[in-house]
Amino acid sequence: MPSLELPLVLIAILAGTLAVTSAGRGAWVAIAILALSSSALEFSISDPNRIGLILRLSAIGIGLAAALPENLFERDALRRDLALGTLVRTLREHPVVVASAVAGLLLGLVPLALPIESSSDALRAAGIALLVVGLPPLLTSRFIEATTRAAVVTLSGTLLLRTSIFGALDPLGAIAIAAGFTCILVVGGSVATRISNAEEER
Amino acid sequence: MTEVGTLTAIRALFPVLAALSSLALVPLIRLWRGSERDDAATYATFGVQLLLLATSVGAALAGAGYLSTLKVGQITIDPSEPGRLLVLLGGIVFAVIVGAGEGRRAGTMGQIALFGIAAIDLSLAIPSGIAPIALLLFASLGISGAAASGKDDVGRARAVFRDLRTVSLLLPAVVIAEILRVAISYAAVDASYATPASLAAGTALGVSIVLIVAAGVFPFHGRLIKIFEALPIVGSLLVGVWIPSALALIVMSELSALASSITDPLGGAIVPGILLAGAATLIFGAVSALLHDDIGEIVGFMAVANSGWLALAAAAALQAPTDTSSRLIVLPGMLTISLFGLWLVSVRRRYGTTSIRELGGWARRTSANGIALTAAIVALAALPPGAVLAARLNLLLLGGNPLIALFAVIGQVLLIVAAIRLLLIGFTPQSQTVHEAETRPFANLITISLVAGSLFVAAAAAGWLALESGGTGPLPPAPSVSPATSFAPVPSSEPSVEPMPSLTASPEVSPEVSPDGSPSGSGEISPAP
Repeated sequence: MPSLELPLVLIAILAGTLAVTSAGRGAWVAIAILALSSSALEFSISDPNRIGLILRLSAIGIGLAAALPENLFERDALRRDLALGTLVRTLREHPVVVASAVAGLLLGLVPLALPIESSSDALRAAGIALLVVGLPPLLTSRFIEATTRAAVVTLSGTLLLRTSIFGALDPLGAIAIAAGFTCILVVGGSVATRISNAEEER
Repeated sequence: MTEVGTLTAIRALFPVLAALSSLALVPLIRLWRGSERDDAATYATFGVQLLLLATSVGAALAGAGYLSTLKVGQITIDPSEPGRLLVLLGGIVFAVIVGAGEGRRAGTMGQIALFGIAAIDLSLAIPSGIAPIALLLFASLGISGAAASGKDDVGRARAVFRDLRTVSLLLPAVVIAEILRVAISYAAVDASYATPASLAAGTALGVSIVLIVAAGVFPFHGRLIKIFEALPIVGSLLVGVWIPSALALIVMSELSALASSITDPLGGAIVPGILLAGAATLIFGAVSALLHDDIGEIVGFMAVANSGWLALAAAAALQAPTDTSSRLIVLPGMLTISLFGLWLVSVRRRYGTTSIRELGGWARRTSANGIALTAAIVALAALPPGAVLAARLNLLLLGGNPLIALFAVIGQVLLIVAAIRLLLIGFTPQSQTVHEAETRPFANLITISLVAGSLFVAAAAAGWLALESGGTGPLPPAPSVSPATSFAPVPSSEPSVEPMPSLTASPEVSPEVSPDGSPSGSGEISPAP
């Protein structure tokens, strides 16, 4: 499994960066990829007791099903929005976020200034990079969907940072956090719908 | 599962099971009465009220003893005394509020209340760590989302949006506090890192921030005001008062354990900062309650002032970890604000307005509401003087700062004055709105339950029933740190001293860690894997 760790870390950071910089389809697909990669990093795939991983993926799946905007899966639009050129252009348009992600990654590779005996460097780097990428839009964004996605990125980063030191969550913690992911996505989706409905009525 | 195991599971999870059963009960009642009939909503409300009362009785019967402790694999659900007491009183309080609120959505509000008190019971029943705090924060978000549903109101949606942002920001604070807490035991044996006192200060800051932001302590009061402005009263009380109070119990337990585990004073200005925030919140809430003319906003500012007491209690938990005064004031505070909420919903339902300019003479027209507000004032003043008042005074003494104590007393007195002002408006000449409002005879079920419920809750809040002593019991102890990570992490930093197996609270190894490292059982400091 350690061989998969580095690619998963890079995928998670890239997906987190795209989740806060893209709009519409690209961002939601990035959130789904982030959820998959960060869950795989957090809970061991080889662990026979995969309840935490299953819970997390089901919770995020349910949340995404509720929060996804309509017409997300239109084939042509999806192909256009997920084209490599579009993604690269999105990243180039947000150099500060990309620089933050890289800085977070490097910062995370530096050992903690705490007397904690062991900590996984890669997981810590991924956690800090996602926190650095997710926190600014979570604090400042005025758009509900963007804030919801930033919340998912921040929470994923927080949990990866925690996992790098303490290991995977205990079953109750896993249930609570899985419920939290669903809650954030469902509530974020419903608030966005309600505000757009109210504005349309006005 | 054996018969004993099933019974244990029912005892442990009774409030959760009651909340889940409401999901079936309400549609069944609507099916039975027919959705077109006007009385379907009334019957659904009545059914949910009965379920709330049944939850209350069930929680009292199940109790918090060993017979209610459920163990399934690695999962332990150990209902706590404070959790069960909150369910017992919460069931009664919300049954009365739902009854007084009436209306088409009263049944839904009752269901939300059921889920809210179930989440509180469950979070106080699971060992401390990230799970109970995460559960409460996400329950708060879910409840505000559910309470705001029903109509496309931008104000409501924005209040929920604010809640989403807050909850998402607080989780990292909890995790950072958790990391710092674990580092304390290592710092005691390795002088090259931060001292235990400074790490404990960082932990205390992280945990206190969660309480301060979630409870709406100044300067984070804006969220609480928006909640009381936008959400229905059941949602406002749960999200703004009940869940933050449950969170306060967990935080105080953590802070007590933390303060007991170090012998040096906490670093930084944590305690003075929390004390100052608490006193400022009390004064700010009370003055704002006096200056506003909308009873919804006034109750919101009273909730803000109550959060000031929670901050003072958190500071006292750090100053005097073994003193129970800090946990003694939580329950009376939440019951008092709930009483004001009950009065608010009843007046708003009867007169259709929340502006005090249009409510002149309300108490003369509806004396039951007058009794409810009088009961709330008695609860607020904690009269006659007893355990609750003594606990508040003790908190001020533990704070150790006469100026803070003076501000807190002034704030509380102003709060009582603001409440008396509301009552006096009820005895002025009747306004047009009040005069034209329809009233019902005193002898009907809703009015009688309003009066009886108010008196009971006021008695509990003012300390007449001595119920509050049950709320100071210990919470389930902290678990040991989770197993190692799945990727077999390599050490990122070489520890300069190999930690001993008996590292925690070892006087030979760590002179700065007190021998009785974990007195109250909660928040025990354990070494990292």
